Amino acid sequence: MTEAVFVPGKRKYVFCSDQEGIKLLFNVIEQVKEEGRPYEIFKIVENQDCLELGELLKKQKMGTHLYVALPYAELEKVRKTAEEIGFTEEETQYIGYGNKVKRIFCCRCHGMNETADVQADILCSQCGLELSISDHYSVFHNAFLGFVAKL
Amino acid sequence: MKWINNLESFPYPFKGSTYRYSNNSIPMKTPLCVEVTPDYIEEMQLKRTLLNHHAERCYQSLPHTITGQWEIVELVIDHLAAQYPDQFSVEKKGSKWTFNNKILEEKQEFTFGGESTFPEEPLAFISRHVQEDLILMMQRDGDLYLDAGQLCFPANWSLAFNLGMKFKCIHHPIPGFKEEGLDDRILQFLMRLEAGNPWERKNWSLMAGDRLDTSLETFDQWGKLRKQVTKENAGELVHIRVEVQKLFRLPRTNGILFTINTHLLSLENLVSNREWLKQFHDILSELPPHITDYKGISLYKNEVLKYLSEKLESGKVV
Repeated sequence: MTEAVFVPGKRKYVFCSDQEGIKLLFNVIEQVKEEGRPYEIFKIVENQDCLELGELLKKQKMGTHLYVALPYAELEKVRKTAEEIGFTEEETQYIGYGNKVKRIFCCRCHGMNETADVQADILCSQCGLELSISDHYSVFHNAFLGFVAKL
Repeated sequence: MKWINNLESFPYPFKGSTYRYSNNSIPMKTPLCVEVTPDYIEEMQLKRTLLNHHAERCYQSLPHTITGQWEIVELVIDHLAAQYPDQFSVEKKGSKWTFNNKILEEKQEFTFGGESTFPEEPLAFISRHVQEDLILMMQRDGDLYLDAGQLCFPANWSLAFNLGMKFKCIHHPIPGFKEEGLDDRILQFLMRLEAGNPWERKNWSLMAGDRLDTSLETFDQWGKLRKQVTKENAGELVHIRVEVQKLFRLPRTNGILFTINTHLLSLENLVSNREWLKQFHDILSELPPHITDYKGISLYKNEVLKYLSEKLESGKVV
């Protein structure tokens, strides 16, 4: 998702972002204020772990809507934390910014690779197989499937 | 290796003179989730070797699937014992079960539903006794998820990659599947599956070679054979691969057991049946590129067609 969308009528709103990401949530925060709904802002500083955020999320009641705006690379650990606590897809919005690095799952050795350019073939960093990057995506692995480039 | 020589027992998959993707499931006449064929011992040896040496490739599960796995153990054992009483038996004293595989001469005592009965998970245990690959789909949030499975004989897909994946995402690579709305219709069909009313379908593809274990993980090895097909060797080298797939609702967890029994038959054997030769020739000639591409036939389709045409013209049965 590239833009946060205000979902009206929620019990409470939790915003989680860093200094840069908060700008992407600004409009929604304004709307929440206008509606007079309860909200909380959780600031993430660089390389912070998710323990404190986890504690905050665990305390939330049903009907809380979560917005997260962070660099793509940071987004996933927050998503994992929120999912483990029980936030569903419908209760969350993740807005990434910055360089989008994609994770590539090697079809032969299951090794995980990272690349910014999905057009080009890569060599698996673990088994050396030449991989073409498919558009087959796994939410579970947060990765695209890399398949045999040349027979 | 010739996996099937007996044409009569081959699950011939074609009807009519064209083929398209469809939900071709039918209610099962004999509601059995597994089958024992004459290749049992050979396939079990192959399967166990794969499970022992390539555990990560052949077995995956998420922790919340254990109850569903026990349901599968119960269903499979009950079906084996009922259908093949000379080969399999089970004795149940409360939760103390004794399963006897008389073909392999193995007796296993265990506590049904118990946590530390086997050195491995329940699904892994029972999969060592059946030729079928066993996939467990769990249903939640209006969707089906591949949450556990034992897969030794995949048709070019990866269980490890697909673990935890939603039904539509699993089928995302199939061209036209989404565009034709098939993914949604089949998902809706599966989610309405009822316990006690199992369904089955056949799926087919062609392959160069006769490996049962055509995993995505080993495609770089076996895929190369596709380049070696000629009209001269197609009869021996190319095999039609048919999966008999069965779908059972598991009443306790509301999961779905999906079993896959894979059969291989060389073209040589296939075309010895004149009607099959004609029908398969018609279907393959008419098959649109998006299907031949996905089924991995494109590289050698023309050679196979030449082979089939020659057989048709010669009018001789091999």
